[in-house]
Amino acid sequence: MSRFIFGAAIAALVLSVPTAAQADENLFAYSYGSETLPAGGTEAYLWATDRRGKGSGDYNAQDYRLELEHGFTNRLQASLYMNFLSVRGEGLDPVIEDVDRNFVWNGMQAAAKYALLSPYKDPIGLAVYLEPGFARYSGKDGEREDQRTLEAKILLQKNFAGDRITWVGNLTGEQEWARAVGDDKWAKEFQFEASTGLGMRIAQGLHLGAEGRYSSVYVHGNRDKWAIFAGPTIHYAARKWWGTLSYQHQVNGNPGTLSSSRNLDSFTDREIRLKIGYNF
Amino acid sequence: MPSRSAWYVVLPALAIPASAEATVYFTIPAAQQAMFPGATFADHSIALTPAQRKAIGAAAGSAGTDKVQRIWEARAGGKRAGWFIVDRVLGKHDYITYAVALSPDGAVRGVEILDYRETYGGEVRNANWRKQFAGKRPGQSLRLDRDIKNISGATLSSRHVTDGVRRLLVTYQMLLAGA
Repeated sequence: MSRFIFGAAIAALVLSVPTAAQADENLFAYSYGSETLPAGGTEAYLWATDRRGKGSGDYNAQDYRLELEHGFTNRLQASLYMNFLSVRGEGLDPVIEDVDRNFVWNGMQAAAKYALLSPYKDPIGLAVYLEPGFARYSGKDGEREDQRTLEAKILLQKNFAGDRITWVGNLTGEQEWARAVGDDKWAKEFQFEASTGLGMRIAQGLHLGAEGRYSSVYVHGNRDKWAIFAGPTIHYAARKWWGTLSYQHQVNGNPGTLSSSRNLDSFTDREIRLKIGYNF
Repeated sequence: MPSRSAWYVVLPALAIPASAEATVYFTIPAAQQAMFPGATFADHSIALTPAQRKAIGAAAGSAGTDKVQRIWEARAGGKRAGWFIVDRVLGKHDYITYAVALSPDGAVRGVEILDYRETYGGEVRNANWRKQFAGKRPGQSLRLDRDIKNISGATLSSRHVTDGVRRLLVTYQMLLAGA
């Protein structure tokens, strides 16, 4: 419980700062918009993702992410991420050995986002995003490993109804190299994800919406596994901070687990993600 | 003790009572005197019918927020000095309240931002940016990037204020020109 209390304490600290305005908040927890922070703007984020459900046994994992983001020009922003991980699994042999990994540091990423078109004055908002990084543990089974990643995204955003309705679409490709500690050989896999979100402003500062994503993993050029997640999203923004909460349920996947049409070996039954941002 | 996942619900709920505070730059009387020094003001507000709102929105290319358009007739020296209109447009997630002063024949004399609630985009208060609206008349083109320069980093606010002023010029043309 202590690891989750740590995350809750950080969230409470962020929320307790007196409120005052707003900027590049994330309307969705999984998909990004195409906007960037204005030049000189700085934002701190806390991400917390709870993943659980493997169809049998007991499994839950939490990914925590601290992010600092800065706008260097009105089109270019850069971010630095620090990650932490907890994984607990029991009775999942042979897919996952019993594990209780409690709030370990799980590497870092840096990211750059460049806005090419604005959703407010061009027919569609468009940005590109690049994120190199490394991890120290497998997010699935909590095993110690060395992992290198390079992720690239194309981010689209279209607004409707006087900017009261926002649609975003992301295409993500990630190349991953991983090896067990002490092993010389790197195993490669490629992940492709297409995600989308639609949100509507229903009151001052409050958006309701839904988002979904298709995640797939390719090994040696062949699709090895995939899953589709979907669920509701709520976003609230005050003057200085914002929060987004999303529930994602796996609706379909392959190869299926326990004769079902969902892949619970590599993905989970559901994910909940909370993101909180604070503008300086 | 809530379960782990329950915190995701509890934390945002705790945060919602924290309300946004507006930065008020002008009260309505102060803006009236700044834009029409020495004038007196007669309330000429109009409760817009759904048909009027629809027609104005269609002609202007963007719908308004308020069902009652707050309008004052400015009078000085025994005659009409112009019109003073207060309006709201959407910022990133809150409203920007602004005022537009029109000459008796509907040309823009000035634009003032009355209150602003966002962290970013406040550059629309810049006097040189607002001066671009001076002299614009009903029927003239008034588009961001074409007739009004965009403020990079404040695009949403720039576009919504520009769209708002264009809508108020259409409102003048439809409802005030013959008054």
